[in-house]
Formats: sequence, structure tokens, C-alpha cells
Amino acid sequence: MLRRKRKDLGGIPTASMSDVAFLLLVFFLSTTKFDIKKGLGIVLPAASDGTQKKVKLKDENLTKIWIDQDGNITMKSGDVERAVPMIELQKIINKIVTENPDMVISLKTDRKSKYQYMVKALDKLQAAGAEKISLSTN
Amino acid sequence: MAKIKKSARPETAIPTASMSDIAFLLLLFFMVSTVFVSEKGIPVRMPKAKSIEKIPRNHSATIYVNKNGTISIDDFVVSIPDVKYVMQKKLAEDFNVLTCFRTDKDTNYGIMSDILNQLREAQTLRVYFEAKLER
Repeated sequence: MLRRKRKDLGGIPTASMSDVAFLLLVFFLSTTKFDIKKGLGIVLPAASDGTQKKVKLKDENLTKIWIDQDGNITMKSGDVERAVPMIELQKIINKIVTENPDMVISLKTDRKSKYQYMVKALDKLQAAGAEKISLSTN
Repeated sequence: MAKIKKSARPETAIPTASMSDIAFLLLLFFMVSTVFVSEKGIPVRMPKAKSIEKIPRNHSATIYVNKNGTISIDDFVVSIPDVKYVMQKKLAEDFNVLTCFRTDKDTNYGIMSDILNQLREAQTLRVYFEAKLER
């Protein structure tokens, strides 16, 4: 009479499980790139199709800021025109905006100017609490 | 004189039984948080700014502009007049689309101004200028 051999109980070896886990862990650790985007937000005005009425701004509600190609800033508020260093821009704009919350800041950047000057100025304007900002170029 | 007998130091051992639990926990965390970046873009050096806010990722369309004025959207190089059509298509796909600029800090502003005008014509008006946090 043949006697059947006892079957081995099948089992998944768990000794190397942590090795596998660590391998996967290292893979995800090295491939993960936290892609958090941060930036300065602004809403553009819609393109004019000629049907909209142009609103004329009063001079006292408009502050013009020019950035020339070397990053120098000139500011015109009312009739006063003056050069402003980048460091003081935030302080000055903050003062203007708290005095007149309706103030529109027009940021005009030279076409040959560098993008970083515009971003820096926009950063200062937003930090100063200016909400009505218009971007333009010559 | 009484001898002071030093008590035998207990053997220290790090318990390794829960190591795989920790490994799996970390593994799950990284698996869940990993986002495989779908576009390569073009290398740019972004400007720095302080008052930056987080850009919602799920609605953003990224426009890369490098300092030579090359514009890349979804890894396709596009010319300035084509930006309008590409963005109109994006707007049709997602009504809440917002444009995210990854522009090199030395790019001429003229190019950016032209692109902004294209965006205005495409009616994609929410724009973010991506920047690094200045410390």
C-alpha cells in the first residue's frame, strides 16, 4: 500500500518582506518631487472689442509706475514725478493705498526690461496691499 | 569595607519587529503623495518674490518662457500668435483654467506682454507669475 507523503504547507516567505518594502520605499523617496507651485496672482482685464466704454480715471486715483530697462523705477502720483528705489516702493505704495483705497496702480514696464524687475515690483505692490493693479508696456 | 557591586547593565536592543510596519507606513505616504510630473518643460530660473500664494494645481496650465523667448506649453514650442488658440482650447476643456507662468527672470518683458495680450484675447484671465520664495 502506497502511503501518501504529507504535503508541505505552502507559505509566503515573509522574511524578505521588509526588504521589498524598503526597496519600494527608496524608489518612491527618490522619485517624489513635491511640486508645489507658488506665485503672484493677478486677474487680467478682458480684451476690449471696441464696444466697451472707456472709463476715464481721475488723476488723483491713478498712480503710474514706470520700470525702465535697467530696473529703475519712476513714480508719478498726481503731478509729482520722482525716482523711487525698489526697497522703498512697498512703503510708499502702502501709504498711498491706505490713504486712498480706490487708487489704481499702473505698472508700466519697458519692453526691453527684464521680467524679474516686473515681478519684483508686482511683489512689492501686492505686499503693500494694492488691489487695483494694471500691467502695461510701452 | 562593603563592596559596591555594579548592577549588570541591561542589554539594549532596538526592536526590529515593527520595522516593516514603519517601512510600509512611509511607503504608503510616499506612494500617495507622489505626483509623476507629466511635462518636462524647459529649464528656467524663476524670479524671487515674497508675497506669493499657493497656486491650485488641478486647474493650472503652465506656460514656460525661457530667456531666449522660447514659449513652451505642454512640451510643445508655440509661437506668440498661437498662444491664443492653445489657451482657448484649454479654456474649453476646463472652464476654471488658470495660467501659470514659469518665466526666466532675464526674459524681456516685451515677450511677456505679448503673451499676456494673447491671454486676454483668449479670455483666460486668471494669471499667476510663478516665483520662488525669497528668504
